[in-house]
Amino acid sequence: MDTNQEKFDEKTLSRMAEVAGVGINNAVEGISRLVGESLTVSTPSIHVAQLTEIPDLLGGPEAEAVGIYLRAEGLMSGQIMMVIPCPKALELVDLLMDFPPGTTDHLGKLERSALAELGNITCSYFLNAISDSTGISIRPSPPAVIVDMIGSILDIILATADGLTETVLMIHATFERDGRGTQANFWVIPDKNAFNPAAGREE
Amino acid sequence: MRSIPLPEGKNNDMLTSLTVGLGEIKISRDPGEVLVAYGLGSCVGVGLYDPVTRVTGMLHAILPSCPGSSDGQPSKYVDSGIALLLDEMRRAGSDRKRLVVRMAGGANMLTAPGFTRFLDIGSRNVGMAVSTLAALNLKIVGQEVGGNIGRTVRLYVADGRMTIRTAGNMEREV
Repeated sequence: MDTNQEKFDEKTLSRMAEVAGVGINNAVEGISRLVGESLTVSTPSIHVAQLTEIPDLLGGPEAEAVGIYLRAEGLMSGQIMMVIPCPKALELVDLLMDFPPGTTDHLGKLERSALAELGNITCSYFLNAISDSTGISIRPSPPAVIVDMIGSILDIILATADGLTETVLMIHATFERDGRGTQANFWVIPDKNAFNPAAGREE
Repeated sequence: MRSIPLPEGKNNDMLTSLTVGLGEIKISRDPGEVLVAYGLGSCVGVGLYDPVTRVTGMLHAILPSCPGSSDGQPSKYVDSGIALLLDEMRRAGSDRKRLVVRMAGGANMLTAPGFTRFLDIGSRNVGMAVSTLAALNLKIVGQEVGGNIGRTVRLYVADGRMTIRTAGNMEREV
């Protein structure tokens, strides 16, 4: 567990919070371009969560959610998962498509593809902002979209982190458009030692 | 064989759920309880049941086997978890020769192209469970594994029945 404590020491965390804030704002700009209208984002809250406590933070492991998953490769590597509980995902589709609230009642092919595009743009802008502010090159993979129980979405992280990563950086943001808002969560899971270059730049 | 009557007038709503969390093992012999592992993706749930003493146990394992740098929690892994589960079942009064084995989970949650190197955790978990159980001469009588869906698995202490629920669907028996 020492590895994780080193990874998320206070200095690294405050640096990451700053970088993630820039990342989220940049991501919203990306979404605004996607929908052709201006969206705003509330000041994102950032904290470190234990992997095992995540399901309860998002409505329990059996609650259904949409997960948009990307891997980041490059000098800084890791995983990023945008998680939106299903009811919020429906609201988000309405928001994206400019439908009256409550129009979307299920996630069909079109809705999933809209969410995938949203996730792709959000995560790419997010990673670009981190890349720009740290000077480290990061390449995002294409996104994978999963609609299932939160527990099973979390398994993706558990399995790919090889069980060694016990903590994730959780970013909670609210997107707003014309007074309508909806929340999204990001889980950022850096690979082992992924932060070392960023920490080095602070000196 | 000595038989224990089912608790009278008990239906599912009156049962107490005992959550088997990530990397945990839970044992019960209270017929009013049901062991539940919620939202299994690539994880596997291995359920053991002794029909005579009603000792019931479930393992919720995350990875096939312990990597080099272990954090020392055997129940996180399929191989060491099954061994520990058997041990705890024995201490709770089960007889290994009577154990009824069922399992579920081991899905592949990432089917998108480009993630092929991560694809096999679910099937590796299932493979490890099959070989570990076979080496211990334990026969799997029921299973629902693989695919690309999350599953909630319930194991009823009263009768050893295992059920599965997937997103948007009803509970069904394995």
